Amino acid sequence: MITANSYSLSTEADATLARLQTRSLVVGIVGLVACAAGLVLSPDHFFRGWLVGFVFWFCMTLGSTALLMVQYLTGGAWGMVIRRPLEASSRTMLLMAVLFIPILFALPTLFEWARPEAAYDAVIQAKTLYLNKTFFTIRQFVYFGIWLVMVYLLNKWSLREDADRNIYYAKWLQRISGPGLVLYALTLTLCTTDWVMSLDAHWFSTVFAFMMLSGQGLSTLSLMTAMVILLAHTEPMRSVLTKRHTHDLGKLMLTFVMLWAYLNFSQLVIIWAGNLPEEITWYTRRMNNGWQWVGLALLMFHFVVPFLLLLSQELKKRPKLLTFVALWIIAIRLVDVFWLIEPNFDQDQLRMHWMDLAAPIGIGGVWMALFLWNLRRHPLMPVNAPDLQKALNHGRHH
Amino acid sequence: MWWIGIGHAGTLISAILLLLNQGWRNAINRFAEAMTLFAVACAGQFPILHMGRPWLGYWLIPYPNTMALWPQFRSPLDWDVFAVSTYATISVVFWYVGLIPDLASLRDKAHKRYQQVIFGALSLGWRGSAMHWMRYEKASLVLAGLSTPLVVSVHTVVSFDFAISIIPGWHTTIFPPYFVAGAIYSGFAMVLALMIPVRRFYGLEDLITLQHMNNMAKVMLATGLIVAYGYTSEVFFAWYSANNFERFMMHNRQFGPYAPFYWCLIFCNIITPQFLWIAKVRMHMGILFVISLIVNVGMWLERFVIVITSLHRDFVPSSWGYYSPTRWDWAVYIGTIGLFMTLIFLFVRVLPMITIFEMRMLVPSGRVKEPVR
Repeated sequence: MITANSYSLSTEADATLARLQTRSLVVGIVGLVACAAGLVLSPDHFFRGWLVGFVFWFCMTLGSTALLMVQYLTGGAWGMVIRRPLEASSRTMLLMAVLFIPILFALPTLFEWARPEAAYDAVIQAKTLYLNKTFFTIRQFVYFGIWLVMVYLLNKWSLREDADRNIYYAKWLQRISGPGLVLYALTLTLCTTDWVMSLDAHWFSTVFAFMMLSGQGLSTLSLMTAMVILLAHTEPMRSVLTKRHTHDLGKLMLTFVMLWAYLNFSQLVIIWAGNLPEEITWYTRRMNNGWQWVGLALLMFHFVVPFLLLLSQELKKRPKLLTFVALWIIAIRLVDVFWLIEPNFDQDQLRMHWMDLAAPIGIGGVWMALFLWNLRRHPLMPVNAPDLQKALNHGRHH
Repeated sequence: MWWIGIGHAGTLISAILLLLNQGWRNAINRFAEAMTLFAVACAGQFPILHMGRPWLGYWLIPYPNTMALWPQFRSPLDWDVFAVSTYATISVVFWYVGLIPDLASLRDKAHKRYQQVIFGALSLGWRGSAMHWMRYEKASLVLAGLSTPLVVSVHTVVSFDFAISIIPGWHTTIFPPYFVAGAIYSGFAMVLALMIPVRRFYGLEDLITLQHMNNMAKVMLATGLIVAYGYTSEVFFAWYSANNFERFMMHNRQFGPYAPFYWCLIFCNIITPQFLWIAKVRMHMGILFVISLIVNVGMWLERFVIVITSLHRDFVPSSWGYYSPTRWDWAVYIGTIGLFMTLIFLFVRVLPMITIFEMRMLVPSGRVKEPVR
């Protein structure tokens, strides 16, 4: 007989997470104090760094929400073992909404369309219907409203399922996931346009939101993989996690690595071959003045190296190595977000400000602390999920 | 484009679902792979016909010649030659390798001498030993691993044919993923459109179950939504680009002389598949058949809209004009449909359309408690 207790965190597991949580919180607070200093000393760089940090960690939050819905629709054992970590991560949405507020106060600092000189720019004038401060602000409330409702329902029904064994919750979760993913795709497209693409108000690319989507999937899967492997040393994960689970997670990471490369390559080829002035500037900026080294590093370390490593079946079954690759990918994701955002400001030369590190660390520390706190509050497995036993037996021989 | 897109579902069903350990593919993969081959054969006709001088088709292939003439390697049209021919080769090999155990069964059951000779030669001496099976499994996995990137690359290159130019309506970065999704979408629609009648007439309801149909309909819905996303983002970004030519193109597409085609396309490809959200529709063969036909029409319209509306009015108003297909355009198109149907029916007559050996493994596990006689 399986009770909720058999999947509750053991004392050791809880201690591991609690230790990590305290450390994250300390790092986060130090980072945020540095951010406060940055805000006073160099507000421009503070907001740029803040945007980088925000977008990077937001990928985890929204990516978790999306992956939760994907796993309800497709099923699969991989989804079951990371469902609770995904839920914990999705519950950082409210924090992200709060952390977004500073950006609303800095629109002219960050976005060229919000500056007074935009009035003399014919191209920007042609899109003021969309790119104006009021509508921008309204949109942010709508996005976060939609996401918060999604996160609320996904968590509420899944946790209710633990308490009373009503099979209808599983059905409801599946039922909202389809339309939820449609809403996810639409809001993701618009928010990516708002936060990243419109930094260069002249540039546009229809595949850009897909690139962000692949990045979100990759960030989230890597963090979740690292998390479950960390927990695999202790109960209850020790008796749950099999090599087949980590193998599957590794395969998914490989898929997203390839998807990311495929989308980036497609965009590059199409824009490079078209060579139109309104599009190619995005790349000329990123292919000169030192930025090209960041681009090459991304090609090597965001695609080639993880791709070759993850091809190996051996590696995907070895928890330590897989954790290493996962942490590697998380680190290089930050470089990718940096590369998407920063060249819009420092066009003449590659420059890094200390705020570009302080803000992601500050936001990340707080984010991790909240994530871990969320994770510790509930059993690590959805105890009454209909397919739980099937998922746990994945890769075990009877 | 329409044909090659249809071809993709076959490979997707066989290769990707094999990699994903999805057991439900077994009943349908043989049929879908055959469909792939025939669709690719149909698609292959067009580039040669389009050159205007079909007898010089071999000029597309880079070969050392006395005049030191080479094809233009920077043109995606030439990438097409490589992508499609590689894809066709791997598809043939994949399909054939999958057929070998069944060909051996046919050989063993054959009564006439000529059947024994033909099936015997084709089954390459298959005896069904454990070693044979092991190599068979390995070969299938490798071929599946090869086919999957090929499916994506073929349609990506097809999308590059358009996107690399700077024609508004063609030059947009979403084309590669959106074409791949569109290809899978139309492919699944075609599999359903062929499978539903075949299943009915040959009484295959126990082998190709409602669950198979349900799953295929779900894949169709998902890819249909990606295609819908593609259309929506084209409209939004045409406006957002603030580029006169882009905005004009979209306006012309929606309200210009070819507007009825565009709105038909929206009806066929976006509105119709929304009914697939309802489980009862997915399980109702009649309705599903009609939807899959509508989607096939819609995907044809999509290609028509992309090609024609962008070309008939370009940058210089003096070169504007109208296009209407000639007798010969229709004849070529209908001719390939005839070729496709002929090949499909030949296949259904001559070869096992459902994998025999995989069914042998699945069917006994379905009836456990049969009394032993």
